[in-house]
Amino acid sequence: MSLHLATPFPPLPKMPAQAAPSAAVVPLPVKVEIRNVGFYYGKFQALKDVSLPLFDRRVTAFIGPSGCGKSTLLRILNRIYELYPGQVATGEVLVDDENFLAPGVDLNRVRAKIGMVFQKPTPFPMSIYDNIAFGIRLYERLERSELDNRVESALRRAALWDEVKDKLRQSGIGLSGGQQQRLCIARAIAVEPEILLLDEPASALDPLSTQRIEELIAELKSDYCIAIVTHNMQQAARSSDYTAFMYLGELIEFDETERIFTHPQKKRTEDYITGRFG
Amino acid sequence: MTAEHIIKSYDEELNRLNKMIVEMGGLAESQLAAAIDAVTTRDSELAARVIEGDEKVDQLERDMDNLAIRLLALRQPMARDLREIVVALKIGSDLERICDYAANVAKRAIALTQSPPIQPVHALPRMSVLALRLVRDVIDSYVERDADKALAVWVGDEELDEMYANLFRVFLTYMMEDPRNIGACTHVLFMAKNIERIGDHATNIAENVFYLVHGTPLTQVRPKGDKSSLEVVAPDRASGPAGAA
Repeated sequence: MSLHLATPFPPLPKMPAQAAPSAAVVPLPVKVEIRNVGFYYGKFQALKDVSLPLFDRRVTAFIGPSGCGKSTLLRILNRIYELYPGQVATGEVLVDDENFLAPGVDLNRVRAKIGMVFQKPTPFPMSIYDNIAFGIRLYERLERSELDNRVESALRRAALWDEVKDKLRQSGIGLSGGQQQRLCIARAIAVEPEILLLDEPASALDPLSTQRIEELIAELKSDYCIAIVTHNMQQAARSSDYTAFMYLGELIEFDETERIFTHPQKKRTEDYITGRFG
Repeated sequence: MTAEHIIKSYDEELNRLNKMIVEMGGLAESQLAAAIDAVTTRDSELAARVIEGDEKVDQLERDMDNLAIRLLALRQPMARDLREIVVALKIGSDLERICDYAANVAKRAIALTQSPPIQPVHALPRMSVLALRLVRDVIDSYVERDADKALAVWVGDEELDEMYANLFRVFLTYMMEDPRNIGACTHVLFMAKNIERIGDHATNIAENVFYLVHGTPLTQVRPKGDKSSLEVVAPDRASGPAGAA
């Protein structure tokens, strides 16, 4: 018997090439374009030449150590800083292509378009119902029944309705911390803004209330452009689509959240998110 | 090396994870070397010790898995730290598998002592020298976080594949020459296959080291040196039936 090694089997037929990705990736609509924004507390420069977009129907998280300027940036967006003397912002904040930092822009319009929720719940010392109705009455004159509907709708969207529907006349101050914060979110969305700014909305809350707020953010995202400042990096990673890392008043890196937390491009970002900051 | 964590115990735990991988790598090398020794010297006792030694590797892998899971749960690692831990888990199971193959070789070494020595056994040490080098180099590349070195291992496995493919032919010839060789030859053939598989796990580890360093997976197609799985033995129809001459 002689040994004969047959030639290897003919190669397998080539698999059809993978379908090419759809030709044009539609760019996300930019709701807010922050352009070369600087900020001064008197002579101290708190922000230096910050530029980035906030996309519509997306959540953008701002992270960075204390004093990096992330809350300051949020305060610029709805011009709250103007309430304080000696605070000056430079650059442009284009909301739907209109510069909201320009002199002569109607502040009420700014605030109606941009809702804000703060770290500590700030319910007004009035009933739950009036907490919501107060803002609406500032802008619109509505029939009682329609006002009722708006209040209910806002409370439902803030996932608070079932917990408060039987005590709408009771004081908002009597609610738990987590409920108060959702009341503030309901109040912010009652006036039908397009942009929501959340400055550490869950940092004073217990873990379960925190998760409710995060779930709420996920739901609200389908209607709003949301910016959130948080010290909780896991929270930023979980609840945002884009993340901006800031340090000493500068924007160090801005990218998709998944990328920032798995494979950031800048060493400073990596050091911060992995807990290596000196 | 990157700066240290603010929380020191985090660094200590990551270092411990690192050391466990290195220890497993060392065990993988010594287990394979001893298994091959047991084959060539026909030493059943040594083979038995290799088989026993596998339990130690398994225990080390369990300890490492526990530490890695603990780190994931308690530290919520991000970016590079996350890669460190995920990669350690994967490398751990590759090293455990390498040790399984070494133990397999040892088991067959005991079986081989039951039959007279056969010539092709002497090809095994050559294969194992190369396999050992791949394992050693890939563990070095892990320790040094050297993606280039890992890449060299990844490419170098082709040589081991080719060695196996050649041995495959040699074994076939041997078995056809004398059917009494078939039992022993099959054992040795399986040993060679085990050693060849060790090379494949070394390339897995190399891919993980590359990912650890660069944060992106290695996506090229690796050169393959072994096509023996596609080969068949066919009688040569031109020459008559065996023994006709």
